[in-house]
Amino acid sequence: MNTRRTLSTADLGALVGDLIAAGTTVVAPIRFVDQGRASIEYGPVQSPDEMDLDGPQPSRSLKEAVFPPTEVLFRWRQAKSAVEIEEVPVSFKETVVVGARPCDAAALEILDRVMGWDFRDELWFGRRQATTVLALACTRCDESCFCTAVGLSPASTRGADWFLTPVEGGFEVEVLTLKGQALLERHKARCPEAEGSTTKRVADLEQEVRAHLDVRPDRIRAWLETHFDDALWKRLALRCHGCGACAFVCPTCHCFDMVDEPDGIDGGARRRNWDTCQSALFTLHGSGYNPRKDQAARFRQRILHKFAIYPKRFGEVLCTGCGRCVRVCAAGMDLVAILAEIGRTAAERGGSA
Amino acid sequence: MFVLRVNSMQDLKELSKKLLEQKQVSAILGYEHGRRGPRPVFVTEVADCERLVFDHRCVHNLAAYLSPRRTLVAQLGRLAVVVKACDARAVAGLIRESQLKREDVVLIGVRCGGVVRDPNGAEQLSADNVAPRCLECDKREPALADHLVGEPKPPPPGSASRDARLSEIEALSPGERLTLWTSLLSRCTRCHACRQVCPMCFCERCIADKTQPTWIETSPHARGNLAWHLTRALHLAGRCVNCGECERACPAHIPLGLLNRKVARVVAERYGYRVTDDPSTPTPIGAYRLDDEQEFIQ
Repeated sequence: MNTRRTLSTADLGALVGDLIAAGTTVVAPIRFVDQGRASIEYGPVQSPDEMDLDGPQPSRSLKEAVFPPTEVLFRWRQAKSAVEIEEVPVSFKETVVVGARPCDAAALEILDRVMGWDFRDELWFGRRQATTVLALACTRCDESCFCTAVGLSPASTRGADWFLTPVEGGFEVEVLTLKGQALLERHKARCPEAEGSTTKRVADLEQEVRAHLDVRPDRIRAWLETHFDDALWKRLALRCHGCGACAFVCPTCHCFDMVDEPDGIDGGARRRNWDTCQSALFTLHGSGYNPRKDQAARFRQRILHKFAIYPKRFGEVLCTGCGRCVRVCAAGMDLVAILAEIGRTAAERGGSA
Repeated sequence: MFVLRVNSMQDLKELSKKLLEQKQVSAILGYEHGRRGPRPVFVTEVADCERLVFDHRCVHNLAAYLSPRRTLVAQLGRLAVVVKACDARAVAGLIRESQLKREDVVLIGVRCGGVVRDPNGAEQLSADNVAPRCLECDKREPALADHLVGEPKPPPPGSASRDARLSEIEALSPGERLTLWTSLLSRCTRCHACRQVCPMCFCERCIADKTQPTWIETSPHARGNLAWHLTRALHLAGRCVNCGECERACPAHIPLGLLNRKVARVVAERYGYRVTDDPSTPTPIGAYRLDDEQEFIQ
């Protein structure tokens, strides 16, 4: 399915206004300014004027719209030995994401694989089902963007229900899925059919991103699978502080912890909270033994999971090249430089080792 | 391009080479250029001393790497560390609290006229981009240092201005302050970057990681977030060196430094104590004085 439409900037605003009026949650990039520091984050908007579609990439990924940082799995009440479990609903209010970056939209589809693998995560799929993603082609990048190295591009439509490409006065819209078609049916009047294909591809930008990092994920994987004990890990991990900032801003990191938290003495909730393999506690056993004994082991795990383990299990890397881990790191850990180094080393050894 | 004073940069490199060559230390912990501005580097080879740099974008407090919980760093052996005056206060804190022996580290002091908020960008230091911690800093060079490099520096731009945001918040009613902080902290996802980058957060087992019992709920909901950040601020009372690394590291852009600077003001007012780079000065919580305020005991 691929229907081409056009949507003026004014009509996009009106469409968002209509959605909000109809009770739909609209999530879009919003600009915040605090103490002179400006940042763009995805968040629910109350009016189309709050959206900032021209700014840089939101500093946190879109995953929290589908996978909140904390979420109740069930609640319990207890009276003496009787325990009552209260399930949480797995159907959610309709949400439309406007202006998702291609790296964020693609991540949702990549995560569907693990979320529907040996256990179907009903909370994830409940929110996925309720969420329509209007992705927006990138018109700018910075030195940390490397989507082209992981098979995406500033104009990848993966994971999008609509794909918007900025054109003079508005957007060209590609309607890509049944969910996207359903949205179009309700707002057809605002989206006239496109005359011919006017889509201006962002070829120049793609070249620019490609210049940041040009590696072959299969070579990276081959190297990782054979260099578990390489000296590289200790050297790289020296500067790592072992916080979870990289994992928490990552569109594809999805590990969580589960905790039971009482609300008073006769009940409580089991919650799941984002967790990260960068924390020592992540693998600490009850016995006191920790199989990942230092930051080198923990940092290696993050790279291996993304570029060797996930590809082995699911056939693709667990990374969309958004570059957030690079931008957020207080210690200057730089995945772009690290992948480039591994790529160089792998190439020097003929790609076989 | 950034205009670096070649001679002071050369001093840093030559001194580092000498320390390595004479085997006074086995590694230099300093700054190198990364793709997004300067970043920490561990130099173990003499030739690599050429990579060392220092300028107003060297924001990072490298004392965080001296905490005993950094097992990989400890394996390197004796270190020489590049420190600004604020970083030296953290080193002094580690010595004061028995985490580090003074003789176990060589301190290369750098003269500092203030740093920017973000190592990436900002060719010139200005009143608009100066890090909040520099606003009340009156130390251009660390007294604790073994060696001192760099030209004398003027005070940071805008340093005469008070911390206006803190004063604004102090003027709010307790209810308004709770509303403000509940809103600011709602953005926290508990990645613990604030703790991990903090040179004074060196506990072997942080209270936030304890589960039997759970003192602080790990969930990033209003209750858990408030408990975590207030506990951390109080645990740093009279100890926080105001390096602002927690605030810089926060991926949610929460102005955490405000909490620490508020607590520091209270400690200064009630105990006449300001965090210093003299390790022999005891902290208020580590000392008993007959004239301590005690009107709250009734």
